[in-house]
Amino acid sequence: MSTVTERSAAGTRMAVQLDGVTKRFGDSTALHEAWLKIPPGEFMTLLGPSGCGKTTLLNLVAGFLESDGGEIFIDGTLVTETPAHRREIGIVFQNYALFPHMTVAKNIAYGLKTRGVNPAEISERVDEALAMVKLTGYGERRPRQLSGGQQQRVALARALVIRPKVLLLDEPFSALDKNLRGSMQVELKEIQRRLGVTTIFVTHDQGEALSMSDRIAVMSAGRIRQIAAPGEIYSRPGDRFVASFVGDVNVFAGRLESRDGDRSVVSVGDAAFSVTAQPTEALSQGDALDVFVRPEHIAVETPDIAGRLNGTVAAQVFQGDHVDLYIDVPGRAREWVLVRCPGVDAMTQWPKGQRVGLAIRPDAVAAFPKESAGEQA
Amino acid sequence: MRRSLDRMALDVSGKILVLLILAFIILPALVVTLTAFNDKAILSFPPKAYSLRWFQRAVEYGDFRKGFWNGLIVTVWASSIALVIGAGFAYALNRYSFPLKRTLESILLSPLVIPHFTIGLGLLMLSALSGAGRGFPLVVFAHVVLVLPFVMRSVLISLQNVDTRLEMAAASLGASPLRILLTITLPLLVPGLISGWLFAAILSFNEFTATLFVSTQATQTLPVAMYNYVREYADPTLAALSVIYIVVTAAVLSLANAFFGLGKVLNVDGH
Amino acid sequence: MTAKPFLRPFVSPAVLLAFGLLAAMFAVLQYSVRAYVPGSLDVGGFTLENFTTLLRPLYALAFWQTVVLCLETAAFTLLLGYPVAYALVRVRSPALKSVILIIAVTPLFLGEVVRTYSWMIVLGNNGFVNSLLLALGVIERPVQMMFTTFGVVVALVHVTLPIMVIMLAAGLSHIDLNYEKAAQSLGAGPIRTFMTVTLPLSMPGIVAGFSTAFAWTFSAFATPQLIGGGKVNTVSTLVYQLGFASFNFPFAASLSLTGLALTFAAIALMRQGTRALERMGAQ
Repeated sequence: MSTVTERSAAGTRMAVQLDGVTKRFGDSTALHEAWLKIPPGEFMTLLGPSGCGKTTLLNLVAGFLESDGGEIFIDGTLVTETPAHRREIGIVFQNYALFPHMTVAKNIAYGLKTRGVNPAEISERVDEALAMVKLTGYGERRPRQLSGGQQQRVALARALVIRPKVLLLDEPFSALDKNLRGSMQVELKEIQRRLGVTTIFVTHDQGEALSMSDRIAVMSAGRIRQIAAPGEIYSRPGDRFVASFVGDVNVFAGRLESRDGDRSVVSVGDAAFSVTAQPTEALSQGDALDVFVRPEHIAVETPDIAGRLNGTVAAQVFQGDHVDLYIDVPGRAREWVLVRCPGVDAMTQWPKGQRVGLAIRPDAVAAFPKESAGEQA
Repeated sequence: MRRSLDRMALDVSGKILVLLILAFIILPALVVTLTAFNDKAILSFPPKAYSLRWFQRAVEYGDFRKGFWNGLIVTVWASSIALVIGAGFAYALNRYSFPLKRTLESILLSPLVIPHFTIGLGLLMLSALSGAGRGFPLVVFAHVVLVLPFVMRSVLISLQNVDTRLEMAAASLGASPLRILLTITLPLLVPGLISGWLFAAILSFNEFTATLFVSTQATQTLPVAMYNYVREYADPTLAALSVIYIVVTAAVLSLANAFFGLGKVLNVDGH
Repeated sequence: MTAKPFLRPFVSPAVLLAFGLLAAMFAVLQYSVRAYVPGSLDVGGFTLENFTTLLRPLYALAFWQTVVLCLETAAFTLLLGYPVAYALVRVRSPALKSVILIIAVTPLFLGEVVRTYSWMIVLGNNGFVNSLLLALGVIERPVQMMFTTFGVVVALVHVTLPIMVIMLAAGLSHIDLNYEKAAQSLGAGPIRTFMTVTLPLSMPGIVAGFSTAFAWTFSAFATPQLIGGGKVNTVSTLVYQLGFASFNFPFAASLSLTGLALTFAAIALMRQGTRALERMGAQ
């Protein structure tokens, strides 16, 4: 029932490939024609708010859900109809799902036993896996005797010991406290790189996504909005959802001035910027649009310089290594404009109520059509 | 913290009220115990002399002995069959959707509201219509029908507490559905299965009304024998038997409480 | 492989059992429309006479008495069960909780015969209550409690109390304590908090408990038979007498069937009533 295909034009066999996969629950479409190609060894993150379809996509790849359309390939093999237990995937759940009635070693050995591996090899590979996650000597404990971080390592060892074709991670860090999270992320990324295992990581935390991924697929309302490397997602968001979901962003009311090939000129007040034309292709000259700028791409200076925006400091927030200034820019931005000033000088230099000018870095601006009534941001 | 007088009065009267109600619940058991040790054959209070002769008569009385063994046979068969059928069905209810699922569930839960005498009468008539006779299978069938809702409930509650992600994890590790059932789901369900069986067994052993309709002299269980006794004799033999009953039941329940947490089984522990 | 690997083996036995139960109910239906042949266990031809007989005052009265008995029992059981359920859920000490639970629940597992017999000893003319009152000089002659509706209700309340406590406690245990704290922080006293927060939120448990108590009382046989002693006729005692004293199975069947319809109607009515109440509360 399985067919080996080489669908990719480049001829490289994809570790995971989704061709127009759709999933419906009753009347609602949880996943709308997802197309995705993940080359071997890649760390791919599915990022989006809850209910965006990322967990549905994960469950479809794992085989826990049946798709209502489209095809899924793992390692070049069509698996759309293959049950979960024959897909050779490893999965780590948010709550780790360690079998409470088995010891740590039995948990890790479970997948090897189902494969009929001989006992001597099982015990050897379990020891290896425990060493890999730095839990040598913990084999005879019960899951509930371990800390959250240790449980996660066991779950990871259990998923990896079977040498899966794909490793699926379903929000694995969200149950850990903040201090542990950072070090577990580094450790997991290191193990993943060393083993070169293709990984699909589901999260709603943009920080995790940006720091760990080779590429990120940003999802919302059942659709993949953009697939790109973290840097590109952050600096060249494909639509206004991606721009506002990943990182902090300021939205200014702007106008389309002119278009020339794939570049457009947009203005905010008397400041003008060159932006990628593609997102606002449907607009005509003179139309209103939204201009997106990251807080770190705005500098505060003295007011009343030509081609700059003017505003008043509305609030200062001390953040330790930097200061967040909130600037009221009437008529140009609906909400206070956030500006990130390094160091602590801004506290004294730009007191509350001070009139200031805003300098926007011209190459770090994006423009999108204004929000239509039905669209979710 | 200072508490108002009203508040305290309310607390105290609440406690007294609960104590009185609990006393009402225990009263018959106390009176029966007192009666069972009364030396005289005629009921009278307070007893003038005490003896164990009624206990001796209770355990030696032929109908009781026969009823006890009949009841044990019926109970073991009925609760075991109900456990197998009820656990399987509860699993299907919890994990699958299938045609007529709700209808089937309603039918199997209906003995909770259908009067036992109606079920007894129906099975008696069914056996007459089909010419199957009134042997042990009929009594066992009646008991399976009656205790099944309790087994289903017990297993369903345990199933809801088994994280389906454990089964998903097992599947991702290559375990077939049967293997998952045997190595993950079933071991985690064991407490629920045991308490479900125990629940069913206690109810089956005590079932009276439906059994009265479907049993014969040859298949009558202990409660039926006791009912027949009380209609003929007024001596404290039955009180002695009742005391044995109460002690054994309370002991079994206390054990069940210690091992499984009765509150959890009955779903009254919310916090 | 299919997505539902165990569906067939797990559901088939349940289907068989359901068929058996339906067949039994169908047998009742079948008997209820057949003629009674006196002195014979066999039945005659098709007739609706059994149901017209039910309209006779004797049987209509029995139905009426049974319904009143069930309502009285359910109401008293609710009044006695609520404080115990409340205490069971709210008491802090686990040991005390276990004690209350064991006391409240043990009678459920004792069976109708043992419990009814105990009440016969308590309520009898030479029984515990009368002996006590006589000894205390409160009364001069024994008060008749056996063979009265009062006696039957007392025993039935005792029989249905455990299931009522379980159902109320299940409902109460799922009420978040913070609702009560919130009400108190807003200035509501304990009684007001109870009346405006706890009681409305425990309505589902109350309805479940009340309707179950109603159904159980309707189903009770040993208690009305032994404590009523023929003076208190209920549907269950009549069915038994008709079936096993006069072997009029067709009439017993029609009586059972009507009783069944009545039970379902009463329970449906109660559920409907609460839904209406809840809708009113929601507005």
